Amino acid sequence: MNVLDLVRRSRKLKLFLFIGIPLLYLFIFFFIPFLIALLYSLGMFKQVVYQYIFVPRVSLDYYAGLFKYPGILKLIQRSFYYAVLTTLGTFILSYPIAYYIGVKLDRRYRDTAVLIIFTPFWINFLLRVYGMRFILHEAGLVNTFLRLLGFVSEPIKFLGTDLAVIIVMIYSYMIFMVLPLYGVLEKLDVELLEAAATLGATPLKTFLRVTLPLSIPGILAGSLLVFIPALGEFVIPELVGGPNTATLGTIIYSLFLRVRGVTGWGIGSAAALIYITMIVVASYIYMRFVGGEVVLG
Amino acid sequence: MKWFDRFLKIYTYIILALMYLPIVVLIIFSFNESRSKVVFTGFTLENYYRLVNNFMVWDAFYNSIWIGVVVTIVSVLLAILMSYGVTRYSFRGKAIVDSIMLVPIIIPEIVEALTLLVFLVILGFSLSPYTIIIGHVAFDISFAYVVIKARMAGYDPQFEEAARTLGADEFKAFRKVTLPILAPGIAAAALIAFLESYDDFIKTFFTRPPGFLTLPVYIWNMASRRGFPLDLNALASFVVIISLVFAYVRRRVERGVLR
Amino acid sequence: MSEGPDESIEVGKGRRNFLRIAVTGAAALAVGGVVGFYSREGEVSSLRKKVEELSSKVGVSPTPTPTSPAPKNLNIYNWTWYANLALVEDWAKENDIHLVYDFFEDLDTAISTITTGAAQYDLTVISDNEAKELYDGGYLMDIDLDKIPNFENVPDEFKGLPFDPDNKFSVIYSYGTTGIGFNSDFVPEGVKAWADLFDVDNPDSVIRRHAGKVTMMRDSTETLSAAAIYLGYDIDTTKESELQDIANLLIAQKQYLYGYVQTEDYMNELPVGQRYYISHAWNGDIAGIVYASDEYKVYIAKYYDNVKYVVPEEGALVWYDNFVIPKNAKNVDAAYEYINWFLEPVISAIHTITIKYPYPAGLKYVPEEIKEDPMIFTPSDLADKLYLGRALSPEERAIREQYWNMVMTA
Repeated sequence: MNVLDLVRRSRKLKLFLFIGIPLLYLFIFFFIPFLIALLYSLGMFKQVVYQYIFVPRVSLDYYAGLFKYPGILKLIQRSFYYAVLTTLGTFILSYPIAYYIGVKLDRRYRDTAVLIIFTPFWINFLLRVYGMRFILHEAGLVNTFLRLLGFVSEPIKFLGTDLAVIIVMIYSYMIFMVLPLYGVLEKLDVELLEAAATLGATPLKTFLRVTLPLSIPGILAGSLLVFIPALGEFVIPELVGGPNTATLGTIIYSLFLRVRGVTGWGIGSAAALIYITMIVVASYIYMRFVGGEVVLG
Repeated sequence: MKWFDRFLKIYTYIILALMYLPIVVLIIFSFNESRSKVVFTGFTLENYYRLVNNFMVWDAFYNSIWIGVVVTIVSVLLAILMSYGVTRYSFRGKAIVDSIMLVPIIIPEIVEALTLLVFLVILGFSLSPYTIIIGHVAFDISFAYVVIKARMAGYDPQFEEAARTLGADEFKAFRKVTLPILAPGIAAAALIAFLESYDDFIKTFFTRPPGFLTLPVYIWNMASRRGFPLDLNALASFVVIISLVFAYVRRRVERGVLR
Repeated sequence: MSEGPDESIEVGKGRRNFLRIAVTGAAALAVGGVVGFYSREGEVSSLRKKVEELSSKVGVSPTPTPTSPAPKNLNIYNWTWYANLALVEDWAKENDIHLVYDFFEDLDTAISTITTGAAQYDLTVISDNEAKELYDGGYLMDIDLDKIPNFENVPDEFKGLPFDPDNKFSVIYSYGTTGIGFNSDFVPEGVKAWADLFDVDNPDSVIRRHAGKVTMMRDSTETLSAAAIYLGYDIDTTKESELQDIANLLIAQKQYLYGYVQTEDYMNELPVGQRYYISHAWNGDIAGIVYASDEYKVYIAKYYDNVKYVVPEEGALVWYDNFVIPKNAKNVDAAYEYINWFLEPVISAIHTITIKYPYPAGLKYVPEEIKEDPMIFTPSDLADKLYLGRALSPEERAIREQYWNMVMTA
């Protein structure tokens, strides 16, 4: 009871209770792990059979190991290639949908439409990827369809190829593009568009001069939401990819789980930290850029 | 432009239908009897029978649920504290605290999971279901915080003040006045927190103890080690039903929040 | 299991109808679990009967007496498809042991897990030279043979193997070869040699004619050795020029592969042949397919006659897997009890009958038709074609690993 009274009276203690405890939790179990991983990647923990001993010296061996890692440049290149194509693909596929629902569709039905888009994403991600495997298989739906239409005589091999990875990534990340686009398009002032039309602008011109520029914040937000996780994706290349679809994500994953000895962890930590640095930089640029947009608007 | 609008409409319908296609295909093939697996040759309930006989699935399902419940309770409690502090007190660095709370949502999960693993192993913690819980809470706090804070910021603190002028101290005012108003927000936050934990694969996968399965880890084991295990399709049907129930409940709860 | 329905009830107090569906669904899941449990019980009891039958035939006591009645934990880390889990669970229940049985499919993963200390296991099964390397690295405990009276059931030829002449840290688990498994429905001409998988410049070779239908193992030791044997190099070569040749060969081969897969994958796929039908494989796995083995069932009849295993003409890797106890083990006594139980002749024999790998301690009681199957028991006339790896230093490993990573990321 005494303690409680003390808490009741002291503002500082109350603040500690309210802000401090959750913050402390995050610090211990979220931010300190990053710090430890950073120290680890700098070679500051030496392993002596199940014991990790702190050694106060900095070495860049693991980072050097990462850049000397066979084929690492190709891997990074491939990861960017997947992430860029996924971002572009989701954008191209999502924009018309977001435009239709956010601008053309009657306001009453918009909520329902968003719900319909959202629902598949409630179902476990791994299962959806697994489902895509049935569709992309040589004897699967896509090939059957193409054969019935007479486009191909021999089934196309999707599984194990770059194409399969990109298709499934676009499918999985689409929601992160549709929602921000819908967010900006829905707020679009329809009268503005009508005004442009009455002033004699062609629909295409209206779109290019008014709609598209106004949806830039949504495009940027969506791109960031798709691009960042796509860059580190490892589940999709593992499940629908093949021997030639290793990415940054799959390599971090195997460095931690499949490579013998502790060097795997060191190099893996280094890779993870470089990845996170890229994200922080990208987010920072985004904030600056979009901040500017908001000021202009 | 009529043709263009029509085109947009048809296009949207087609894409939406395609979104559902993998799930529909999964469920259809769960009734496939064929050993060839990817060609439908006949109807059977064999896959369901095998699923029902698979004790590992039930273990995994049970683990997913209990971990989800514990994670939800802890992270919602912490999030309530935090949002109360942020909305009711002014202090230096509030904006920073607020943005710190959002970091776990932005950081890709694989990085979170690996750094946590390195941290746990270096400090000599042995992995257990509790390490999974620790990891889940670390991102679930953020999800719960966003929802609860929105709710808390959205209502007038004068009710609390009224209660306090009537003689209640801050704790009592919180319990008797704030909490009931917050209830729908807390319910929504709890649901989101639960689902994030229940559906989590990456963090669980890296911080789980030997042989410990949750539903997503089990699904991963099946899907990554075997080609087309049709009993996984049967499992998919159950998961889909459960997910739709959750989605429905979530929608109800969220509507409650908006009202 | 009751938490499932409870959770749904708490969350949505609104619509009764909808909830009822949810609850019924969850309850059905729960009932399913119970039914599954009991039907499995049936399998266990029939297996047990088999153990007793076999024991009475040979006149030994079927189940070892429990040494200590106190409940304990035991974490075992073993290869997939390598133990009869029904028997193991039955043993654990009888001895009041809380058992966690975890699996790996390649040594790289196993050694990564053991050496980083990410997970703590009390007992694991590691192959010959890598066990020696782990021991040299200080990751394994010395084994006290006095605590394993049943070690005497191990035939002498499996005691004191070259990598551990005094059985200081290892006790034999099983042995076999790494060759090629294939489905003869799709490859009527058969596969005979590593050349069939590696001669990628010849458009008429097996791998070119069956491009995309071949898998190699995702295991650095196995796959590097296979290429080394084909090229005529020492399987444990650490010469950079030779390793470069090996890597080049594997990278050239890669475009004709379905991928790098493991036990569970090819055991499910080979009989079907939908995704691929030629696999770099372990003998016992293929035997397991042929006899349609199941961890819970006893089959002696051949089921999939179309799946074949060959030891390639150029030679193959032979391996001996061993029980070893990691240094960070917490339940060493239970680990010894498990080893001792496993070396019980009848238990080993049942494992051979059900899993289709040879477990030396039970050799005497294995039925003739299994004993004579060259897929399970490697015939002795193959001996001069088989290569046993040697232990490598960490530096040598690192060199090989670099070339392996080169192949993986190519």
